[in-house]
Amino acid sequence: MPPPVAARGREVDADWILHRLTRPPPQSTPFLELRLSATLRRPLVVSGEYRRPDADTLVREVRVPYAETTTIRDGEAVVARAGRSPRTASLARVPELAALQGSFGALLSGDRTLLETHYAIEADGVPADWTMTLTPRDARTATRIAAVVLRGRDDELRCIETRPKQGDPQPTLLGGAASGAGELASLDDALRACRDVPR
Amino acid sequence: MIRDALLQRPGLRLALAVAWLVVLLLAGWLIAARLEFSGDLRRFLPDARTPEQKLLIDELGEGPGSRLLLLAVSGDAPEVLAEQSQALHAALASDDRFTVVANGADTDLSAFPAELLPYRYLLTPSFDEMPLDADALRDAFDARLQDLGSPAAGLVEPLLPSDPTLETLVLAEGWAPAAAPQRLFDVWFDRAGERALLLVETRAAGFDPTGQLDAVDTIRGAFDAARGDSAATLQMTGPGAFSVDIGGRTQREAQRIGLADTIGLVILLLLAYRSWKMPLLGALPLASAGIAGLGAVALLFPGGVHGITIAFGFTLIGVVQDYPIHFFSHQRAGLSPWKNVRGLWPALSTGVIATCIAYATFLFSGVDGLRQLAVFTVAALAVAALVTRYLLPGLVDPAPPDIADSPRLQRLWHRIEALPRPKWSLAVLAAASVAAIAFAPGPTWQNDLSKLTPVDADAMALDTELRAELGAPDVRYVLVAQGTAPDAVLAATSALRPALDARVADGRLDGYDMAARYLPDADVQRARQAALPDTPTLRALLDEVLVDSPFLPEAFAPFLADVELARTAPPLTLTDLHGSPLASAVSGLLLVHPDRATALVSLSGLDDPADLVALAAQTQAPGAELRLLDMKDASESLVIEYRGRVLAAMALALVLLVATVWIALRQPRRVWRVLLPTLLTLLVIVAVLRLAGVELTLFHLVALILAAGLGLDYALFFEHAGDDRADQIRTLHAIIVCSLMTLLVFSLLALSSIPVLRAIGSTVALGVVCNFVLSLLVARHRAAIDAARAEPEPVA
Repeated sequence: MPPPVAARGREVDADWILHRLTRPPPQSTPFLELRLSATLRRPLVVSGEYRRPDADTLVREVRVPYAETTTIRDGEAVVARAGRSPRTASLARVPELAALQGSFGALLSGDRTLLETHYAIEADGVPADWTMTLTPRDARTATRIAAVVLRGRDDELRCIETRPKQGDPQPTLLGGAASGAGELASLDDALRACRDVPR
Repeated sequence: MIRDALLQRPGLRLALAVAWLVVLLLAGWLIAARLEFSGDLRRFLPDARTPEQKLLIDELGEGPGSRLLLLAVSGDAPEVLAEQSQALHAALASDDRFTVVANGADTDLSAFPAELLPYRYLLTPSFDEMPLDADALRDAFDARLQDLGSPAAGLVEPLLPSDPTLETLVLAEGWAPAAAPQRLFDVWFDRAGERALLLVETRAAGFDPTGQLDAVDTIRGAFDAARGDSAATLQMTGPGAFSVDIGGRTQREAQRIGLADTIGLVILLLLAYRSWKMPLLGALPLASAGIAGLGAVALLFPGGVHGITIAFGFTLIGVVQDYPIHFFSHQRAGLSPWKNVRGLWPALSTGVIATCIAYATFLFSGVDGLRQLAVFTVAALAVAALVTRYLLPGLVDPAPPDIADSPRLQRLWHRIEALPRPKWSLAVLAAASVAAIAFAPGPTWQNDLSKLTPVDADAMALDTELRAELGAPDVRYVLVAQGTAPDAVLAATSALRPALDARVADGRLDGYDMAARYLPDADVQRARQAALPDTPTLRALLDEVLVDSPFLPEAFAPFLADVELARTAPPLTLTDLHGSPLASAVSGLLLVHPDRATALVSLSGLDDPADLVALAAQTQAPGAELRLLDMKDASESLVIEYRGRVLAAMALALVLLVATVWIALRQPRRVWRVLLPTLLTLLVIVAVLRLAGVELTLFHLVALILAAGLGLDYALFFEHAGDDRADQIRTLHAIIVCSLMTLLVFSLLALSSIPVLRAIGSTVALGVVCNFVLSLLVARHRAAIDAARAEPEPVA
């Protein structure tokens, strides 16, 4: 099947994005996240690498400021931290993790059917600056997460912005956006890095 | 005057009979409205004597396992089943009739009252080994930073300021059932992932069939609402579900048998008397007796009439159906019904008085249910006899054909008369019966009442399976600590934990639960308070630990406040937990009275009870007494005690019965003729049952009393008939009709698939046959037999 091209004008659709993003495993991409809390002196910036060693596994490896590896597979997340025995949590109990795997994993495998069982999909933008908004269908996930917004340029996924039902959006910078990000002192910095596409 | 009017006006007689029936229906309706039914089986048990019995009856209502219902929802996609499990949970959790409803959804600490949250530092074992010091805090803050950096940060962040060590989560995890099943879509599922599992604890005791029925119906209703259009089905097991199932089956079967009986009896009466009025008139004394019995218990026992009283009672008063039969069989042209009934009265009243005196012994049994039974039967028998004597004569057709004229009956009578009269053969029969009773192999008594109401194998297998999946506690064994103060018994069970944990670790036990898991005793709480740092110390610790960390020390003021509150508050007690999600879990395992307290340790998957008996004996428990309670043993000892009382009452009843007959008949020969068939029949019944390998139960004993009452009546009437040939034939007719009726009713019961009904049915059916034959052979007058033999057999 020929790749669907955004022939009419420069508008993109979900199939176009998915087709561009699809890659066979193994693959990896650097990430950078920023967390805010009233208990922290300054925002917490976490960086590391997302890996997909095979089609069914997603690994989130944090390198800075601490070492932690989360392996998500078969509906379970195994969290390994330096100096502690690994902990296992069911994804059903942590919708945030499930959302991460559901969006990221399904996205990279190009599985639109799987993606659509978990989310309503809406695509927008032009090839050089597109967004895809995923709205959770599962009622329980939806009580915690309003939407997951993916942003990218051509075949590069640059940012995943998780919008909780309550509180600030949480941006995860990926690929070029993660490695190219400078000092992130505030949420605004991070959201700007997430939303602004370099020309 | 009235009598003459009645004799001449059949229409008036029928109208009066119908009016009588209407009055009975009205009275029945009135009494039913007043009657309080009690399903509590404990009212049918004797007072507890041993500590085990007391615990069983007074405290447990059969133990923590007996109020549990195990639910499995299957037959649809797992996510659909999970939704139904949640909907069912929501419906039942808000219902007062259930104390625990668990489906595996998160232990919701938001339901924990805010003012109790600081107590987490007294409830958690986290700082027992290592105190809450700089190392512990540093460790906790390192972990919290990583939590904040994880995708699950949103869960943890709100808890941080007051709970940096996440003790709320530690407690929630600790309180989750030890061997919880897997969770799919947030709720418990079996290992195959095909059945959503729920655990429900009823408020009603396992002893309370009415309460259990209500609970089971409520659950079914809630599931039907939760299911909607889905094809999913609900399976339910557990003691309550079983008793409801068996109760329903027994009732349905009894109803089917009752219908067959009614049709059979009507046909039998029509055939016997060739008059359509007889079934109506024949039913009136029995109906009056039932109403009178119910009225008497309703009046004397305002606290509630037990369902078993009613069931047993109606079985026992079946004998009154015989009274009108004797009267009808003797009625003929030229004999006034009043005179007829007066002639029968000596035999009838002797039978009634003797039986009433026998039942009256139950009044002194010390068991509430048996006292009710005595009142019911005595009132019913007396009323049945009186209405047969004083009301029925006014209603019958005064001039039916004389039964004694029937050639067929005459022939039958003649053949019976020609039979040899047994003498020594009876002695042989008695000796053989005694030998059979003494030497029949196998246990004589069945002490396990559950054998009488067996659960079918499929349901039992499902129960075992669900119990293993859910880690639900054993129904039979429970560890018990009894003492005067709640703290002593909590401490006693708590002291068992290392030993129990070791047994769980090496697989001798699957799991256990105790109140001390949720609510440590006051000493433990005070020790934890003493180990907590005060506010200045803790503040200094925080400053030290967080000096180079990303966390702001000032942000943790709520933590300082909570620890200070925990350090200075009075220890938490059971009363403080009231209204919290923990209350139901703890209250089922810790029973507190003003002067005593009992803590229970429920056990699941126990391999070796003797091991725990030894453990309980070894464990030091100041102020408390530890023991492993075997529910089965305790309930069996109650059954044995109960049977002892029934047997004592029966022995006394037998003596009184003999005395009554003696006083009524006076001559030793007559007394002997009447009592021999009855007593011999009792021996033969027991011998046959024992030879057939039947283990005797309470139901057999009650049925024996009925058999004895029937036998006494047959013998009294045969004996009463005297030497007159026509009278002998009429009596033969009456007793044939009576015994056929009773045989029909009880042989249908004997064929039942339900052991309780079978026990009663087989005993009475055997009794009827044996009584009939023996009364016929023994009770009649010698002269009548000789006369019959001298006469040629009549020709048709």
